[in-house]
Amino acid sequence: MSDRLPAALTRRRASLPLLAVALCLPPFYLDAFWLRIGLFSMAAAIGAVGLALLSGTAGQLSLGHAFFLAVGAYGYAWLAGEPGPGLPPALAALLAVLLAGAAGGLFSPVAARVKGVYLGIATLALVFLGHHVLLTADSVTGGFNGRSVPPLTLGGFAFARSDPEPTVLGVPFGAEERLWYLGLALFAFTWFTARGLLRSRPGRALAALRDSETAASVMGVDVARHRSAAFVVSSMYAGLAGVLLALAFRRVVPDYFSLALSVDYLAMIVIGGLGSVAGATAGAVFVTALPLLMTRYADQLPLVTAPGSAEGAVGPTEAARYLYGAAIVLVLLYAPDGLHGLARRARDRVRRRRSRAPAPDAVVPPPSQPTAARTKEHTP
Amino acid sequence: MNTTHRTRRTRRRTAKAVLAGALALLLAATGCSSKADDGDKGGEAADGVRTGPGVGADTIRLGALTDLTGPYATLGKSIVQAQQMWAEETNAKGGICDRTVEIVVKDHGYDVQKAVTAYADIAPDVVALPQVIGSPVVAALLDDIERDKVLTFPQAWAASLLGRDAVQVLGTTYDVDMIAAVEFLTRTKGLKKGDTIGHVHFEGDYGANALEGSTWAARKAGLKVTGQKIKATDTDLSAQVSALRKEGVKAVLISAGPAQTASLVGVAASRGLKVPVVSSAPGFAPQLMKTPAAPALAAMLSIVSAAPAVSSDLPGVKDMVASYRKKYPDSPVDSGVLSGYNAAQLMGADLKKACEAGGLTREDVVKAHRAQTNADTGLGTPQNFSDVDRPASVETYVLKPDAEAVGGVVNAEDAHAAPGVEEYLSAR
Amino acid sequence: MTTLLDNILGGLALGAVYALVALGFVVIFKASGVLNFAHGSLLLLGGYLTAVLHDDLGFAGALALAVLVTAALAGALDRFLLQRGGQDAHSAHVQTIVTIGIDIVLLTDLSRRIGGDLLSLGDPWGDAVTELGPVTVADSRLAAIVVSAVVIGAVFALFRFTSWGLSLRAAAEDLEAAALMGVRLGRVRAGAWCLAGALAALAAVFLAAFPAPGLERTTGQIALNAFPAAILGGLASPAGALAGSLIIGLTEAFVVGYQSELHVLGEGFGDVAPYAVMLMVLLVRPTGLFGAKGAARV
Repeated sequence: MSDRLPAALTRRRASLPLLAVALCLPPFYLDAFWLRIGLFSMAAAIGAVGLALLSGTAGQLSLGHAFFLAVGAYGYAWLAGEPGPGLPPALAALLAVLLAGAAGGLFSPVAARVKGVYLGIATLALVFLGHHVLLTADSVTGGFNGRSVPPLTLGGFAFARSDPEPTVLGVPFGAEERLWYLGLALFAFTWFTARGLLRSRPGRALAALRDSETAASVMGVDVARHRSAAFVVSSMYAGLAGVLLALAFRRVVPDYFSLALSVDYLAMIVIGGLGSVAGATAGAVFVTALPLLMTRYADQLPLVTAPGSAEGAVGPTEAARYLYGAAIVLVLLYAPDGLHGLARRARDRVRRRRSRAPAPDAVVPPPSQPTAARTKEHTP
Repeated sequence: MNTTHRTRRTRRRTAKAVLAGALALLLAATGCSSKADDGDKGGEAADGVRTGPGVGADTIRLGALTDLTGPYATLGKSIVQAQQMWAEETNAKGGICDRTVEIVVKDHGYDVQKAVTAYADIAPDVVALPQVIGSPVVAALLDDIERDKVLTFPQAWAASLLGRDAVQVLGTTYDVDMIAAVEFLTRTKGLKKGDTIGHVHFEGDYGANALEGSTWAARKAGLKVTGQKIKATDTDLSAQVSALRKEGVKAVLISAGPAQTASLVGVAASRGLKVPVVSSAPGFAPQLMKTPAAPALAAMLSIVSAAPAVSSDLPGVKDMVASYRKKYPDSPVDSGVLSGYNAAQLMGADLKKACEAGGLTREDVVKAHRAQTNADTGLGTPQNFSDVDRPASVETYVLKPDAEAVGGVVNAEDAHAAPGVEEYLSAR
Repeated sequence: MTTLLDNILGGLALGAVYALVALGFVVIFKASGVLNFAHGSLLLLGGYLTAVLHDDLGFAGALALAVLVTAALAGALDRFLLQRGGQDAHSAHVQTIVTIGIDIVLLTDLSRRIGGDLLSLGDPWGDAVTELGPVTVADSRLAAIVVSAVVIGAVFALFRFTSWGLSLRAAAEDLEAAALMGVRLGRVRAGAWCLAGALAALAAVFLAAFPAPGLERTTGQIALNAFPAAILGGLASPAGALAGSLIIGLTEAFVVGYQSELHVLGEGFGDVAPYAVMLMVLLVRPTGLFGAKGAARV
């Protein structure tokens, strides 16, 4: 056991720079379509990590994530744009994240008192109220048509297309290519801060709270305060995701921030595996990229016809929806602990097989851990 | 422990090697990245025509961002089929600029994110977009379309889409139609000063713009408008009818979807609120004439529209309807067929004109489009595209439902500009 | 005065329909801890079956068959898909997301079949109305009130007086204890899903009938409005679902009916009002009006 852990850690450490390099490559090869999918996935991953902190760790269900994404996106567009204070974009982005946190804080009287599914539906109210405000407060939100998002500039470098387009190694660097690296940086920030948070004292307190509210409060965890703190932090990640989404969309419209978006985020963290940062990321990519890619390539499938060609036939979008729905069901049927659990089990199996093969300095085979070992969960 | 140390050290060394290797690979490989030599796309084809994205030596590619699986599936299908038919007809006659026309159809199912991604997918390969469905989709793409200068005909008619060089609203806008509706009510239905009109409208662009027009026209005529905002998911308008009855309305305007129109008219009729109802063009579909509300609709409803009824006897419309029914015998012929075909024809005219001027780049196409001052396809009123801030046409038809007719409607009044429209447009 | 009565009656009728849907949510939640996101598509399925079958079987026959098929499908979904996930609270979360997947598949298929049509369900009420003193009500709405009252009464009786109801209540109280006492959890759960499916199919009839123009692909979305109704009353309480539904129905009717007086809140507030009411109730009672007090004392 003592040998296995560092070995696993170093293996991870070795793969990390490799992964980082691999993630830096796409702008050199893929065109705007793929880069946009990547950007949407990264933004979704940031938001999903926030929700994972809330749901997976604190055991609170939230269907209001779309609202906090909207606060971040609109907050940035308003703070940095015209009409609005026209602040420097980087400052506006920071303030937008804080604004989302503040919105979460305002909701904390509810978030601290209401639990589980009840909180889920209560936050649903935020989505509807928020949508109503987005449509009504024309002067700030631009009403139904939304508003343009000013590009982010950092020290004179704009994350937008410029004329003439600069080229790096012969590849023209437009908005998507530049935003890709911004997205990566923000995602890396999220990844490390969220993992740090999970391992910190408050993170453990939240986990204790999820497992048993009574036990946690006996041990001196302030239930209401931790619940609302988790809610605020989760909203701030959502706000950050909103800023990145706004930059990727270049224009924010109210109809995007709907209930369906909230449900998507919930699906992300469950499909990924509740309570882990890596799982939330995997879930975010699954839920965001899969439908887009399927819609794009479904016409290659047999029995699927080109859009609008024949009466009563299955078009690519429909085929993609069928497959996507079925994929959700299948993943969760065969891996109730999500993609994260699936990956962990696959890794264990590979490791076990490898250790069975004659290897001179093989580490001691790990006692087969009950991977599905879950602590008793809270009642929703 | 010893082993661990060694493994850790070797691992670290391998990590460095991997990193260096990967970087070297990156540097070497970008040389052969297809993106690197993508630089110049524009140029001049062999026949001396300037070409840009979407135009090859013998093809012109147009794009359509449509909704075939969402709430506007019926409309989307009609438009796609009508435009495909136009492309085939055009190619049979030798194409445009000696090139065959091809339409790339992308279905976004009324999902903004899908639409934005689909745009990124097709934008580099098309010269113009004769069809974009869905107001939120159009709104989300406005900036990109302006930046890329892709001539776009959105299937939405809100005045807020005016004033953009590359975006062209075809025909009248919702507010202009509603001014005509109020004028129609005062002229033929005996509404007089001091009367109240109800206006049931969707939230968002469509409803807000229509309400703007009706409010202006009503003030001019000394009428009062009382608005009722609804959502696309509201299909039972009982409460709205109660409220309108309380206000004592003498007529009702509706700018919503077909289901809402049917409910409004049905409920109003059953509650004894027998007043004239005038709907915006998107508020009617031929399917309504098969619902129980059909008799009430026939008795009470009129529709204001920029396009004539598909059952109209304009020769262009008759020919088009005949060939559409031959090609798609199972599909209903509705207003979407007409507007889609019309949009495609106007696009074709722009492309021809741009070709004659020697260029088919996106800028050339937009320029050719803006030079059209009297574009007449024979499918309705002629349009003037030279002023970006003005609707392309201000003439509105009034239609009546008729279960027997093709497309469920017949012309009640020919196209005409309502008297106050010019004043309204200059005041705005 | 007439407007007031109008709004009260309209609100009650709306509430009665919501109650059928909200009760479905509650029954499922009580039995399995799952929030059923596929409820809207089940409702649409029931409506669609009634619409396509009523020409051949007549309205009553079509409705009966639709109710049976929807109930069977709901039960089968639970038995063969959801129950594979287990019974504990964590798997309830996972199963909630599985219902999203089911919803996507069902809704895609039904939307494809319905297309842009407005389907008539062939109900016997048509667009007939009844004069009740100064107010006029659609017959279909009166029928909705009567049918809902009868059905909800029957469900209460089922809960109270049958062994299935007893098992369900026992399982909701303590899963393990109930299992030890010999309650066959799987069957009890599947039974609850069947019941919810049947209620959804029934609700579809009233949602598509007269004041609405017919069944369309978005009819199922109305299930969303029953969310606040179910929560407001307390998700685990059938009586709460009924009370919550009536409150939401009345709220909607009043906010729309008096929209011109309420325009300070912004037009179109009617669709948001149910959620605003729900938030206020949850602030005071975090588990709804009829919910059990959950807070543990230390």
